[in-house]
Amino acid sequence: MATTVPRRRKVKPRRQKLVEQAVLAPLDWVDERTAFVKGTKWFLFRHVPRDVSWLQTLGSATLTAFIVQALTGAILAMYYQPSAAIDPQTGKPVAYSSIQSITNDVTLGWLVRGMHRWGASVFIILLFLHMGRVFLFGAYKYPRELTWITGVLLLATGMLMGFTGYLLPWDQTAYWATAVGINLNGTAPFLGPWLAQFLAGGPEIGNYTLAKFYAIHMLLLPGAIFALIGVHIYLVTRLGVTSPPWSKEEAGRDRPPKVPTGRRAGLVRPSGDGDGARPGLVRSGGSGGAS
Amino acid sequence: MARELGELNREGFARYKADVKNEGKPFFPRAILHDTIMSLVVVCVTVGLAAIWYYGSSNKGLTGGVLGPLYAPPADPGTTSFVPRPDWYFYFLFYLLRIFKWPETVFIATVGIPTICLILLLGLPFYDRRRERRPSRRPVAMIAAVLTVLSMAVLTWKGATANEALGSELVLLVPKWAHQQGFEGKELPTKGATLFAQSGCLNCHTYLGQGAGQLGAPNLSAIGATNDAAFFLQYIQNPAAFGNKVMGSYSYLGQPNLHALAAFLAASKGGK
Repeated sequence: MATTVPRRRKVKPRRQKLVEQAVLAPLDWVDERTAFVKGTKWFLFRHVPRDVSWLQTLGSATLTAFIVQALTGAILAMYYQPSAAIDPQTGKPVAYSSIQSITNDVTLGWLVRGMHRWGASVFIILLFLHMGRVFLFGAYKYPRELTWITGVLLLATGMLMGFTGYLLPWDQTAYWATAVGINLNGTAPFLGPWLAQFLAGGPEIGNYTLAKFYAIHMLLLPGAIFALIGVHIYLVTRLGVTSPPWSKEEAGRDRPPKVPTGRRAGLVRPSGDGDGARPGLVRSGGSGGAS
Repeated sequence: MARELGELNREGFARYKADVKNEGKPFFPRAILHDTIMSLVVVCVTVGLAAIWYYGSSNKGLTGGVLGPLYAPPADPGTTSFVPRPDWYFYFLFYLLRIFKWPETVFIATVGIPTICLILLLGLPFYDRRRERRPSRRPVAMIAAVLTVLSMAVLTWKGATANEALGSELVLLVPKWAHQQGFEGKELPTKGATLFAQSGCLNCHTYLGQGAGQLGAPNLSAIGATNDAAFFLQYIQNPAAFGNKVMGSYSYLGQPNLHALAAFLAASKGGK
């Protein structure tokens, strides 16, 4: 035993080096062209204000809910058939029968469908909560206006996802709610009648409507949402998240105008002698968080 | 004091970046740990809802538990007595429709208010330009937010609990209608009135104070003053031929029923 241990130690570094090279060479090749290491570092190894709160996890929670929707939706699309024709075997519409078979026959199909059905509600609730948090924190103000705008567009796209997805089970609830929904579009001035006709795809809600809603629901809108989320997360990473506005150690807090001792003002935390004029804004004391 | 807002904004953001750099905490792994925990909660809640939905249902999914049935019966364009109901996050819109139910105003609910809300939301950072972020110093924003949340909650609640009058309840009103419209004892209009109550006409139309008044469907209380039974017989079989693209055809009711309905409409002269 005593002789084998040093021998292993001699061999290992060389083998390790080879393995490392084999693994790293393709990564290096990709990194040289994409700088993804730099990008990942930029995203992961950044600092956030030290007082960020649990409320600020709502954004990533919304993203998770969307990822759940994307994955379960992709699985559902493998079994779902968007057709209003009557299935000769079941005597029911093909779309309806395929939903029944997903729920009852496909392994864990009930779970995938249930997660997609209720994940939609979770997604919408989280969108609203996340928006409420941003509003409460005043986090839409300079320089994060564009982040807010992409967020509002995501909310609108998410609602449209709900509207188009609701029809797909092709049951009575879905059919009549969509009939009303399409007629509502028709009441809009100018574009309304055209939009209603486009959505229905024919004189009444049928096969064309279903196919159209399916395409919008699983191709058009998800593409838009992916793109918007990309822009949204890029902006959040680039501009940073805000501190809770009531925090005493808020990042970017106002400093006393000018400290007359000649020290450089701004980056240095106030020592306590200069903030008599605006007591609420800064907390004196504390050794500063520069660690 | 006279410094420009833009200048103050840029200085504030420069301070923010310096503070985060000097006193912030690393996003990985500290902040992202909280995100991961929260994401796991989201996935668990979703799985839990799916399980409650599936295991709570019975009768092959048509009878629901707490979270409702797995599916309603298959779509059937022929039925008219089915009450349209959107997913819960459209209930507010659903209820706005009942507030602005007259044909001339229905577009306020369907397009007007949602468009205004969307524009107000998109424009928020541009009309609320103050640098102040503390809620206690933003009374207007906070009051507006509370009012918005309250009105959305009330509209959603009202939309969720709104009951369309059911055919079985409306049938009880037929004698009253007959009395008001003066067709008491006449067999055909009375039969037509019963059909009118049962076939879901009042899911869109209004009649002597009853009905939903959705989609701009007109009040039919005095429709008999405008045309005769022969006209109505044609109309309800093919509304599209008369330029009505919203209402569907009711020819599936069969000729005897259609004649009764037409007689009822012709007898509806506005009442006393």
